[in-house]
Amino acid sequence: MREVTGQGCESCALREHLVQMGVRVDSFDYVLALAGNPNTGKSTVFNALTGLRQHTGNWPGKTVTRMEGAFEFNGKRYKIVDLPGTYSLLSASVDEEVARDFVLFTKPDVVVVVVDATALERNLNLVLQVLEITDRVVVCLNLMDEAERKGIEIDHRALARELGVPVVPTAARQGTGLGLLMQTVAELVQGRLRASPRRVKVDEKVEQALAELVPVIQQAYPDLPNGRWVAMRLLDGDYNVRRSLENGELLRLARSDAGEQEMAIARAHAAHILSHVERLQRQLEGSFRDRMVESLYAEAEAIARKVVHRKGERRWDWDQRLDRILTSRVWGLPIMGLLLMGVFWVTIQGANVISEFIAAGLFWLESKGSTLFNALGAPWWLTGFLWHGIYRGLAWVVSVMLPPMAIFFPIFTILEDMGYLPRVAFNMDRFFKKAGAHGKQALTMAMGLGCNAAGVVATRIINSPRERLIAILTNNFMPCNGRWPLLITMSSLFVAAAFPPAFAAAAAAGALLAVVMVGVLTTFIVSAGLSRTVLRGEASSFTLELPPYRKPNVLAVLYTSLIDRTLLVLWRAVVMAAPAGGVIWLLANMHAGGQSLSQWISGWLDPVGRAIGLDGVVLLAYIIAIPANEIVVPTIIMTYMGAGMMTELESLNDLHRLLVEQHGWTTMTAISLMLFSLLHNPCSTTILTIWRETKSAKWAWVATLLPLGIAFGVLLVLNAVVRSLHL
Amino acid sequence: MLENGYLVASVIVLLLLFAPQWGVISRWRQKRWLRSREAIEDALMHLHQREHDGRLASVESLAGALDVPTRLAAVLAQRMETQGLLRATAGGLSLTPEGHRLAIQVVRAHRLFERYLAYETSVAPTEVHDFAHRMGHALTPQQIEQLDAYMGHPTSDPHGDPIPSASGQMPEIEAQSLVEFPIDKPAQIVHVEDEPSHVYAQIVAEGLRPGMVVRVVERSPTRIVLESDTDEHVLAPVVAANISVREALPGARVAPGERLGSLEPGERATVLRIDEACQGLTRRRFLDLGITPGAEIEVVMRSAFGDPVAYRVRDTLIALRREQADWIWVRRDGRDAPLHEEHKSVEQRTA
Repeated sequence: MREVTGQGCESCALREHLVQMGVRVDSFDYVLALAGNPNTGKSTVFNALTGLRQHTGNWPGKTVTRMEGAFEFNGKRYKIVDLPGTYSLLSASVDEEVARDFVLFTKPDVVVVVVDATALERNLNLVLQVLEITDRVVVCLNLMDEAERKGIEIDHRALARELGVPVVPTAARQGTGLGLLMQTVAELVQGRLRASPRRVKVDEKVEQALAELVPVIQQAYPDLPNGRWVAMRLLDGDYNVRRSLENGELLRLARSDAGEQEMAIARAHAAHILSHVERLQRQLEGSFRDRMVESLYAEAEAIARKVVHRKGERRWDWDQRLDRILTSRVWGLPIMGLLLMGVFWVTIQGANVISEFIAAGLFWLESKGSTLFNALGAPWWLTGFLWHGIYRGLAWVVSVMLPPMAIFFPIFTILEDMGYLPRVAFNMDRFFKKAGAHGKQALTMAMGLGCNAAGVVATRIINSPRERLIAILTNNFMPCNGRWPLLITMSSLFVAAAFPPAFAAAAAAGALLAVVMVGVLTTFIVSAGLSRTVLRGEASSFTLELPPYRKPNVLAVLYTSLIDRTLLVLWRAVVMAAPAGGVIWLLANMHAGGQSLSQWISGWLDPVGRAIGLDGVVLLAYIIAIPANEIVVPTIIMTYMGAGMMTELESLNDLHRLLVEQHGWTTMTAISLMLFSLLHNPCSTTILTIWRETKSAKWAWVATLLPLGIAFGVLLVLNAVVRSLHL
Repeated sequence: MLENGYLVASVIVLLLLFAPQWGVISRWRQKRWLRSREAIEDALMHLHQREHDGRLASVESLAGALDVPTRLAAVLAQRMETQGLLRATAGGLSLTPEGHRLAIQVVRAHRLFERYLAYETSVAPTEVHDFAHRMGHALTPQQIEQLDAYMGHPTSDPHGDPIPSASGQMPEIEAQSLVEFPIDKPAQIVHVEDEPSHVYAQIVAEGLRPGMVVRVVERSPTRIVLESDTDEHVLAPVVAANISVREALPGARVAPGERLGSLEPGERATVLRIDEACQGLTRRRFLDLGITPGAEIEVVMRSAFGDPVAYRVRDTLIALRREQADWIWVRRDGRDAPLHEEHKSVEQRTA
């Protein structure tokens, strides 16, 4: 628990009375739900009240599942639920259903609708919908500072009068107005404020239908507070509301103490109500949704006209000027390319330094630890298994994985926060459209270059089901940072060596670029294939919101990208890597017939490996490395050298001697290995993530076997062709 | 000799196995087909269609519709008769009440699925029928109800055919063929036949679909000329015969307007309506974003490769692809016709 330290007197009230309690939501007096359009600063309000640092990206659709937190205000405990950002509650998507069901069925004590003051009209659409469901609403008129900059003045008192509920102007980023907001919320939940919300009138024909249906519903459910809204949802064909009517849940909503018998009666009423609904729906000829939304927006327009005043010219200038450059035919692509290359350069350079540092520390600890074990008289196998197996696997993964992620993700998040990434999606969409995919896939792919599991999670920003699945299933074709070390080693060892020293560095970089390009190409081909075959019948639609540019909140970004992405992904990788380290050690140290297990297995795998231009050792390394691709190279070296633990060689020359002179690797072997690394199945963390994100074992299997099949197919053909040409 | 004997024997065996119609494998497949849900559902749909057209089906017509030999169709009809689904009379085959009830459910599933495919997914209009035909049989009753609810209990499929309700009610639509419709009178398309598919493909390519208001401007034995919102369509009479129309409601007229996609950056316009053919997920998204009749819209910028284009609607910047922007009918600002008049005519038409 910690007190908020606010600046200026705007936040005095908040400072004196608020105690943030983070995620401790066990006991509370009131439930507060936060609703609002995407990108209106909902999460910022949430963070300011709870002290949590939820990721607040400048992106529509960030909060996909709902977030919960708690705080204390004037001695009362509040549980606060951050609902997904939605434009409406008419359930066009999962997000909207989550938000709507919470407001309707969980009946929070107060719903705070966070509204973007710079786009009031559109935000009012949602406010009016919430007001149809509940009258316990406080409107938080956020982004007032931004509105002021744009010369927009809003008469919030008039707005409150029009809506019939309290309206509090805020600038959540600065902490302005939040004290007043909480004061208002407190008064409302304690019944000291009475709201009389505005209800929207739809056109005559619909009103007639409602006039017929509402009494039928009210007769069956006399205690239902929002019969009119239920009637509207039934006419619109809302599946959840219909089901809650059929199974009696709606009665529970009206009277929480309803008994079994009453429930049975209510269920009997349902058929009667639904027959009315069906008849009225036919009369309205299915255009109910259109009429409803048109009325909502007409109302929103009317209100906005009364309360919004623009001072002089609209000032979109700064945004627009930036957009002109960033999306221009001439500069759009070069800027994007340079930025991306810059990010990678910084990541790779920076990671190298930190990586060595961390590795030195961790391996120093290993040698100390094993020495200590030996000194204590522990048997050699225990020391080996724990320190040279499990611990070494862990240390390896951490030192390779952590630095690039800790650099890449924050930079990426800052670009995201500024609003630049949606412009990238905007620019690249043309290509993705050809492949039946969504422009936002460009971003999830870039994210995949850091970590495929993170890339898969990032596909949540794609709000069209089919396009999202495509992005999930193909993310693996972007080489993640676990695969970079191998790609870098191979290109400097084999490709660069084929060029004169002056060009070696450029050649190695070129080879890396070529690998990424092959990955991009494969992504497009597979995306196009998927969208034209198995995914053809999946739901699909395209819209892309381009939010205004905002100053990134660097500290919050650093914090959240470390917590959200880096540590989370790292933890999962560690859980996977530790056992893998143990298995590797066992394979290398259990002997039969004068050979270690790993040598036996790689012997059996050898024919398969040869067919695709590799060998049994490489395949074995890949099987063991399913939990973490970072350990492929050390495992190969270990098995070749017949060593008892994963090893790295001091210099590239030693490695060259081992691979080329002792084990007959050629440039073709290196190319095959690079392609295999690029195309093969995702790591186990990614597979699990896919399973969780799609909630389907089927798609997890497809995501695993499809790339594996492609990898084997491509390498078989390539090697057969090369062999037959005697290259 | 012996070798010839082997040859003959193996040819006979092969024939026995693989011969079409009477070969072992083909027999086995026929048997399986006869017992399949697919065969019965297709037969029910055919009988229902015939009854709807006011003719009785026959074994021959059944065989033709299902694309199977007459013999097989006869066996199927017999089976269905013993199941109490149809009656064979002198005049032909007719549905029993039970058969009729089932047929309506099959039609319902098929049309709901067609609507889902056409409006919610990216299946091309010309492929919808086949796709629905192949996959529709696999739907469970729960899935069908979910589809229905998900789409808000729609009343017509993409071709304009009515979708029966869960309780089996199906409204009749009055319509006449475009070929017979008087010249120069506004006509609203109510139905477009999706078979044969090459004719349907032509109609789709012309952009003609249910809900549109058109006017016949010329008719001769070789061609029929239509005028729609913006285009002129020249159709062969066989093609026109697959389009059914009814007299457009008073007030409905060929609405002027342009597609949003044809505007250039910097231009402003007022939304007139979202195209009738744009339904489902995309239409709901448009509505949620505030693209409703009367909304102001400004073309802000093209992306680096020209498509998509960003538009400002209700103070928010939204990117739309060209084909989506083309669903939105607008009137460029700066023209003289006052907005509310236009608005009224659109409203009357939808009313």
